[in-house]
Amino acid sequence: MTQLFMLDVPENTPIVAVADQDPAITVDRVGPYFRIASDTPIVIDRRATGCRHAVWYSSVAGLMRSRITQWDKDAMRIEPA
Amino acid sequence: MAELPHIIRGVDHVAFPTFDPAATVAFYRDVLGFPVVHSICAAGWGPERHPDFIHFFFDIGNGDRIAFFYYFGFEPPRGGSKGDVYARFDDDAPNFFVTSRHLALHVDSEADLLEYRRRLDNSRWPVELQLQHETIESIYTHDPNGYFFEITRALRPVTPPEDLDANLTVDALVEVVGGPDVSMAALLARKAELIVERAAGWEPAKR
Repeated sequence: MTQLFMLDVPENTPIVAVADQDPAITVDRVGPYFRIASDTPIVIDRRATGCRHAVWYSSVAGLMRSRITQWDKDAMRIEPA
Repeated sequence: MAELPHIIRGVDHVAFPTFDPAATVAFYRDVLGFPVVHSICAAGWGPERHPDFIHFFFDIGNGDRIAFFYYFGFEPPRGGSKGDVYARFDDDAPNFFVTSRHLALHVDSEADLLEYRRRLDNSRWPVELQLQHETIESIYTHDPNGYFFEITRALRPVTPPEDLDANLTVDALVEVVGGPDVSMAALLARKAELIVERAAGWEPAKR
């Protein structure tokens, strides 16, 4: 299980929305955070989110038994740790 | 842990040395329009052969002040080619580190930010960078002393969940820097645990 947390602030909602389009991904909430989870690696395309770099590179709040294997201007890829 | 009453009232003054008081007055008073509000002309005294000095203050809003020391006859200590008159570094010091210590002043609106941009751009110290960060937009220049200087506005108010997030971050950071793996990965792993422990039942404090 790949699992990451993202705070529910206006800057992050496009990232969560892009992730939520992937049928393998489920999104629910833990307090004011989104929990984005999947049985497979989670890949989010930055350009699809429209996020500027400062937002993109500060959007991850936590990783549960998961690790970031790509986090650049193109995409974020998160896999089980 | 008992809450400590939060009774402090902001910045009284921040103080910096200057070796160019004429340019410093030009920058802060004549270009930016910060009023001169206080000064001290003091003869040197004490055990350290203290030079005679002028301590002068500019209002930076809210009654807060930025202050400078000018020491007569005192030359800046030697250092490298990078940095400001207080802290100089060799060429190989990375710029992110050299500019990490800086003063950022606040304005309320984009119009106000652009007004200071206009004032600086018409001066010897034009804006070097205008940038939107996560939730703020800033303009930057270096003052005549080499101090990295920022004026910023909030793109939106900071929300209570962001205060919670900040507290989880610093708690995770304090733990992680005391552990064997001091890394972003370790911090994000610990923060995820804290989110599960403390964010699920969290409700914004009544204000």
